[in-house]
Amino acid sequence: MRPGPRRYTRRVTPLLCATCAVLLIGAPPITGAWGASATISPLFSPNRLGVKGRLQLTIRFSEDGSEGVPSPVRRSVLRMPAGLGIEIPHLRSCSIVRLRALGASGCSAQSELGRGHALAEAVAGSQLITENISLWLFLGPFHNLEPTIEILGRGFTPFDERVVLTGTIAFDKAPFGEDLVLSIPPIPTVPLEPDASILTMSLTVGTSIPKGTGTSTGAGANAQANTIVLPPACPAGGFPFAADFTYADGSSNSALAKAPCPGRSKSATSVPATLALEDYLGG
Amino acid sequence: MGRLRAQTPLIALIACACVLLADVALAADTLAVHESFTPDKLGVPTNLSVTARFLSTTGTPPSPITKLALYAPAGLRIDARGAGTCSAAVLAQRGPGGCPANSRAGFGGGVGLVELPKSVIREPYTIDFFFGPPQHGHLTLLAYASALAPVPVELIVIAREVRAPKPYGIGFSVEIPPIATLPGASLASVESAYATFGARNVAYYETVHGKRTLVHLRGMIAPKSCPAGGFPSEGEIVFADGTTLTVNPTIPCPR
Repeated sequence: MRPGPRRYTRRVTPLLCATCAVLLIGAPPITGAWGASATISPLFSPNRLGVKGRLQLTIRFSEDGSEGVPSPVRRSVLRMPAGLGIEIPHLRSCSIVRLRALGASGCSAQSELGRGHALAEAVAGSQLITENISLWLFLGPFHNLEPTIEILGRGFTPFDERVVLTGTIAFDKAPFGEDLVLSIPPIPTVPLEPDASILTMSLTVGTSIPKGTGTSTGAGANAQANTIVLPPACPAGGFPFAADFTYADGSSNSALAKAPCPGRSKSATSVPATLALEDYLGG
Repeated sequence: MGRLRAQTPLIALIACACVLLADVALAADTLAVHESFTPDKLGVPTNLSVTARFLSTTGTPPSPITKLALYAPAGLRIDARGAGTCSAAVLAQRGPGGCPANSRAGFGGGVGLVELPKSVIREPYTIDFFFGPPQHGHLTLLAYASALAPVPVELIVIAREVRAPKPYGIGFSVEIPPIATLPGASLASVESAYATFGARNVAYYETVHGKRTLVHLRGMIAPKSCPAGGFPSEGEIVFADGTTLTVNPTIPCPR
């Protein structure tokens, strides 16, 4: 996809938002001597060309070769397939200030792009502490005429904390369309103890569409829902997704995956990050 | 922050205490201590963090610590409402994982030292703090210190609330037993320690009147006012070689 006019009220916002979500989650792990590894799993629902629906992206981080907590992720770049769009019927955004102060309820439903959840871990004392985090994805204010994405992460126990991430959208080269670039701040736990790392994050881009109303642009569709719009055509091998992660310990890695074309295998294919991107795309 | 012969924040001391003892001559010429509140605001739930490091000019480990008395700034309160308690017996049998989550009082760790005839082993350790059962109306804190390798160490000590002299507020005293390590090696000693106490932003779900409710702990409450020069605190350390060290760290007032 090349830079050009984009309409945000009628389908077209490239999916980067979704990507944002991914990043959002944020603070994934990485490691010491062995290093962290990451996988991504995209899933369209419904999986039909050119229709409105949702994209669920699941990211998993792990520490290779040990049971330790991966290093926290500091930067994520989520690369989405060309042609993927997002339809936002009523263009509303939510400011990060409002999100921080009031939480998800402080933003209008029209600005919500999706939701998700994450699992974070941190070591404190001799204990491994885990926390479930709820995620909300919002359309942020435009910056230099480009949309921004905000992700609110909220955990309740053992730490009642709220974190807001902001993402930007960048153009990528084929076979990708747009990237969601997220800078992920440290997720503090207890003073003097390590920051938390994200182990898993699952984000669904696209808000609710009432049951029985279908998924296309028919009259029954929820006019208020922000949805993703699948590309009109599917490349051989499936829709390509990729992600680049940079960790707090300075290391980095990538993850590749393909979402199956409609009518094919129902599960996404994750590809080892060690596989050359060219090989992957050529496959 | 201090770097004098004495300056040690409370908790750090506890941490130190948990950690080691060695029966080598006191070679710790100074003890550098830093204390801080997070958030650094008056009268709000906060975390008190302390770091302490012995600085030696001879290269030999400090003598093991046998007793610590720690006095916190006047006005600092511990609000244990909603917090559970753990016991030394549970810690001994099941470790920190056996204690109720809401009995957690803090975290810590540091580096311990074991002196061999021709070398000194440095070993990281962790400390888990829990509220213990009150004794005669006074708070108790349980400290569970553990190190895994190269020398496995597990130590449980009880810090008891004591009356503190002016200008201090709440105080704690703890006795630390000798920590044997390897045959032919010294008792364990401590090079550095850090600890954070408090329950800022800590919350747990409890069933209240049949309804699952998120309960926020208050934990440690910062003083409502700050004296000129900062919050005073004091630590008295007794070493195995009979020497003592008094430190008077000061926590700067919020800006």
